[in-house]
Amino acid sequence: MPSLNEQLLLLVALQDLDTMIREAEDKVHAEKLTAMGFPLEGVEDLRRARKELAESIDRLLLNRYERILGRLGRAVVPITGDVCLGCFAIIPTSYTSAENRDRILQCENCGRIFYWPRGT
Amino acid sequence: MAQDKAKTARACGKEGDDSMNHDELITLFNEQLFIADLKARDRDGVLQEMIDHAAKAGVIRDRDVILGMLKNRESLGSTGLGQGVAFPHGRSLAIPTLMALFARSVKGVDYGAIDGKPVHLFFMFIAPPVEKENRYLPALGQVVEMIRDEPTRQRLLAVKSFADFRKLILGED
Repeated sequence: MPSLNEQLLLLVALQDLDTMIREAEDKVHAEKLTAMGFPLEGVEDLRRARKELAESIDRLLLNRYERILGRLGRAVVPITGDVCLGCFAIIPTSYTSAENRDRILQCENCGRIFYWPRGT
Repeated sequence: MAQDKAKTARACGKEGDDSMNHDELITLFNEQLFIADLKARDRDGVLQEMIDHAAKAGVIRDRDVILGMLKNRESLGSTGLGQGVAFPHGRSLAIPTLMALFARSVKGVDYGAIDGKPVHLFFMFIAPPVEKENRYLPALGQVVEMIRDEPTRQRLLAVKSFADFRKLILGED
């Protein structure tokens, strides 16, 4: 079983993949990319990759991710400063310490899972 | 070619108010994110070398997440658009702001480009999932349009420094 930090990174990777699939299926976005010349014929390959990735995530955590995704559209959100970029609520200062940045924490307001990209 | 340009202009919003000029475009690049000659000789090696370069520059936190995203993006369809140019791109939570990286390969790389030819020029764009200023697709579209011009591609092949690259993008030479 991957460590907590690895589980968080797997969720981040899963959300990146979900974003890519959603954009590839979005007519307006896909039209923009194909007009530039980018072929987008591999959506089924992305779905297979998503299934494999999801199978490597702790079941309870994956269920939590899927529930939030279904309810709010995005399950993992980046944090800039002390603001949740999902609902723009201020995060308690106890959450923002360096040691908490690799833990799986959820917004007390919207329930989304936090992730701190470098530089924030 | 004129039809291609018109299509790309539509794609990157040039018909509306969502365009990006060369002055704006160059602000996305910087000297730390410039590779004059890649060592890698295959697609995955190129992506890894470019991401390692960005990680060393302190731009990204979790390199493996971004590398995975870029490889997935290539399985959606090659970003090697032919004529020796590739545009690895995508969105990732692991980046706080839009990142643009230019790399050149003098020898060329087997990248699985749509024309099957080796790729020498790489423009990488990685954007966060939500982008307040919405510069990702306009920037990508602007560069795609720019490299349709054969003399521009030839001059890009000859750049040896970021200063050369900057002058070329701004049309200063």
